[in-house]
Amino acid sequence: MSSWLDYTINGLIVGNVYALVAVGLALIFGVSRLINFAQGSIYLVGAYIGWVAVVQLHTPLPLTIIVVAVAAALVGLIIERFGLRPLQNSVRIAPLLATIGISFVLDQLVMLTFSPNPRALPSQLPDVRFQVGGGTIGPLDLLIAGVGLTSALLLFVFLRYSKLGWAVRATAQDRDAAMQMGVDVNRVNQAVFGIAAALGGVSGMLVGMYYNQIDTAMSLQATLKGVVAEVVGGAGNVPGAIIGSLLLGLVESYGVAVFGTSYRNLFAFLLLVVVLVLRPNGLFASARQAPPEPLTGTFIAPSRPVRIPRWALLVATGIFAVLPLFPVSFYVLQTLINAWLLGMLALSLTLVAGTIGQVSLGHAALLAIGAYTSALLSLNLSVPVGLAIIGGGLMSAALGTALISPSFRLRGHYVSIATLAIGEIVSLVILNWESVTRGPIGISGIPPLALFGYELVSPISIYWFSFIVMVVLALLQGRLLGSHLGRSFRAIRDDDVAARAYGLSLNRYKSLAFIFGGFAAGVSGGIAAHLYSYINHETFNTQQSILALTVVILGGLGNVVGAILGAVALVGLPEVFRVAAEYRILIYGIVLLLLVRFRPQGLLGTM
Amino acid sequence: MSNINRRTLVKGSLAAAIAGTALSRFAFADTAEPILLGVSGPLTGPNAQYGTQWKQGFDLALDEILAGGGINGRKLAYNFEDSQSDPRQSVAIAQKFVSDPRIVLELGDFSSPASMAASPIYQRAGLVQFGFTNSHPDFTKGGDFMWSTSVSQADEQPLLAAYAVKKLGLKKLAVLHLNTDWGRTSRDYFVNAAKEYGAEVAVTEGYIAEERDFRSTLVRVRDANPDGLILISYYSDGALIARQARQVGLKQVICAASSVYSPKFLELGGEAVEDVHVGTRYFPEDPRPEVQKFITGFKKKYNGLEPDAFNAYAYDAMNMAAAVVKIGGTDRRAVRDAFTKVKDVPSVIFGAATFDVASRRVKGAMNAELVVRKGQFALWDGKPT
Repeated sequence: MSSWLDYTINGLIVGNVYALVAVGLALIFGVSRLINFAQGSIYLVGAYIGWVAVVQLHTPLPLTIIVVAVAAALVGLIIERFGLRPLQNSVRIAPLLATIGISFVLDQLVMLTFSPNPRALPSQLPDVRFQVGGGTIGPLDLLIAGVGLTSALLLFVFLRYSKLGWAVRATAQDRDAAMQMGVDVNRVNQAVFGIAAALGGVSGMLVGMYYNQIDTAMSLQATLKGVVAEVVGGAGNVPGAIIGSLLLGLVESYGVAVFGTSYRNLFAFLLLVVVLVLRPNGLFASARQAPPEPLTGTFIAPSRPVRIPRWALLVATGIFAVLPLFPVSFYVLQTLINAWLLGMLALSLTLVAGTIGQVSLGHAALLAIGAYTSALLSLNLSVPVGLAIIGGGLMSAALGTALISPSFRLRGHYVSIATLAIGEIVSLVILNWESVTRGPIGISGIPPLALFGYELVSPISIYWFSFIVMVVLALLQGRLLGSHLGRSFRAIRDDDVAARAYGLSLNRYKSLAFIFGGFAAGVSGGIAAHLYSYINHETFNTQQSILALTVVILGGLGNVVGAILGAVALVGLPEVFRVAAEYRILIYGIVLLLLVRFRPQGLLGTM
Repeated sequence: MSNINRRTLVKGSLAAAIAGTALSRFAFADTAEPILLGVSGPLTGPNAQYGTQWKQGFDLALDEILAGGGINGRKLAYNFEDSQSDPRQSVAIAQKFVSDPRIVLELGDFSSPASMAASPIYQRAGLVQFGFTNSHPDFTKGGDFMWSTSVSQADEQPLLAAYAVKKLGLKKLAVLHLNTDWGRTSRDYFVNAAKEYGAEVAVTEGYIAEERDFRSTLVRVRDANPDGLILISYYSDGALIARQARQVGLKQVICAASSVYSPKFLELGGEAVEDVHVGTRYFPEDPRPEVQKFITGFKKKYNGLEPDAFNAYAYDAMNMAAAVVKIGGTDRRAVRDAFTKVKDVPSVIFGAATFDVASRRVKGAMNAELVVRKGQFALWDGKPT
């Protein structure tokens, strides 16, 4: 019994830590309907500013907190002014991509300034421990809880009783109406970003002190857990975010208690999916509240796609088809093979995200399902590689659609969050289902690509193979988009109420899109497995999902040629910037930001 | 298929032509052009810290090699390509290296998915992939061009088990391990050895690399009532576990694998890592000349910084590469064959390293039993803690 008390306390303690990030995310979402993927990076910046203050300048704790809050708020203001304000009137999805780009840039800047080695961030509080249950808590636990609660209280007072607070709430409710009433929406946004960033920075510093450890990898994890907690509590709801965080902490802790440590995150993400399916607006959203999401259609704004003449496409296809006949290096071919594989994934994602409007952030899971299926079929059942890859595609289509189907009733951002969670769940199941997937050891000795008994091992033959597969998938998809089915998909994206009124069954069409998309992604994963000969649960990770979404948005949502162009660009750019060594990801982030700034509808526009 | 064969032929002759021009240039300026090694490893991304540590170890070794006259009068140099430990990038880098005729040998990558995805390319092209941190048991099974000086966990874990069970007298163990291919393999070898020595393993818990909070895991550990905690961890997570174990009031003996051996472990763990036992391959006061040379050289080059395990692996790997290239020259196949010929290369980790030709790994890692005393690693004096 006493153990359960300990698990409860531990869950609350770690939930406390998550709450600090979740509150900042909730605040920004409440006002600008934006999931700020840069919040984790501000948290990281705050931790390192704290380190400079404590270790180099020896500031006392109250001063440290003020320094970090002010510096982080400044970073937040800069992000708002130069990263997001210019995108105000563009596609709704552009700011989301911009925050991803900003987080790349900030993380890299911190890494370049402070080196990637972890550092100790000593706590400035006296080291006394209070016995609670079987364990102890320290003053830092209390401070973190204090900061979380105080900031929530201050926010409440600010939002309810100050003029700027009213303006913030008015803007959150209806931006256009607020503007008509004379609210300076920009000032509101500034205030919100400043406050959220200050909070994010201080929380990074406190968590760094809590673990006596800061490193540049802490940013993505903080964002992930923060987003989960925020959405569980009800996006945009500050008290909900705190309760959501505590709940997340508890579920993780009980998950560890019952099943063991390696299942921990599995429960966190299962909680998220269950909450989303049962209460799509979060646990604490009131029924009266206006829907926190724009109706579909405003999320992905229509734009005029760039018309590429047929002859130009034919010429481009021809050039890439005969490329290996010319003396290009194997390195270039291999890079293009990677681009074709990413292109297949992007085709899949551009269909589900662009054409039918289900923006998925867990697409790497489909790669993983295809890769594992194909690898295991060829290794365990000696299925010929060509058939095994098709099997991987089919399994990915079936399993992926089945996994995603509970979230078909969700809209906008919530689809992205649900798919993010499903992606993580798939990766954790692969890690833990050892009898089939061999767990962390992974699968080695996967046979190389082969077709009709001939092994394809030279880069040239792999190039042709992957290129042909991609072109075939792209042609099929182009055909699909032009058909009645494609028009139905777009109708659902643009106005699901009208589509339903017209007699379209939403779930059936969403399933069809995921089946086709799942197949393309599964084939890409299957080819990758045979190309690499070794895969484990880390091969297809969250970064892949984010990369795929970046490709799709960059190319233009729903745009088949755009997806492929985006894949070539995002595989190619980091390779081109290789000469810049450590700086290359920084440059990549900046280029991405500029692209979003000047072509928010994507290179080739939304189809 | 004949089609492809012809293309390969065309390409082959082209490559030969390029190689020919490169060779003639070499002949022209034999001593000026350095002998080039390719390194594929993380300089950005979540594993960037390890790439940085590799560089420190490599650079020190290269300074010493140059001071000793280089490789038959020529300078040894490396070309470090950032892979972010991502298999997609490591395969592209592999193609880059194999088609660059100047590169005689490749080092890395860091993680198993990135390294082993590139193995088929190196194997087919006939360029040695020297994976000096690749402990995955299947790494060297990728082909006869895969060689590794990574300490085999079949070697290391029984030593740690002997330290914990035979020397420290622990009878009931809780094992916490990173849930990666390395951590998992290590755990299995450790558990087998510990059982063989007569200890009971009460609980094993695998955690993912990004984990920061271990309090609930430690409640599980407490409920299993062990008399010792075994950490199969890297230094950053090892320090976190030690801190939180002490915070939740666990007072058991902690015994950790050599991968925590780093000044960072002491810095991050603070007082909580006091009395933690570590089985390592070398220690600062080790009288062996190669260790003293490494430590004094490292401190001199990096302003008094203490080297850690990953610095040592990289330093050893570069020295091994130099020894191999000295025998094999610049022909890739001869370099591969030279791995079977090198004998007793001075090594921080192995004392003297000689490859076992069948497994393409080095056996017989050195063993030192350390304990943290007054915030420093010290040789264990046999006193219980």
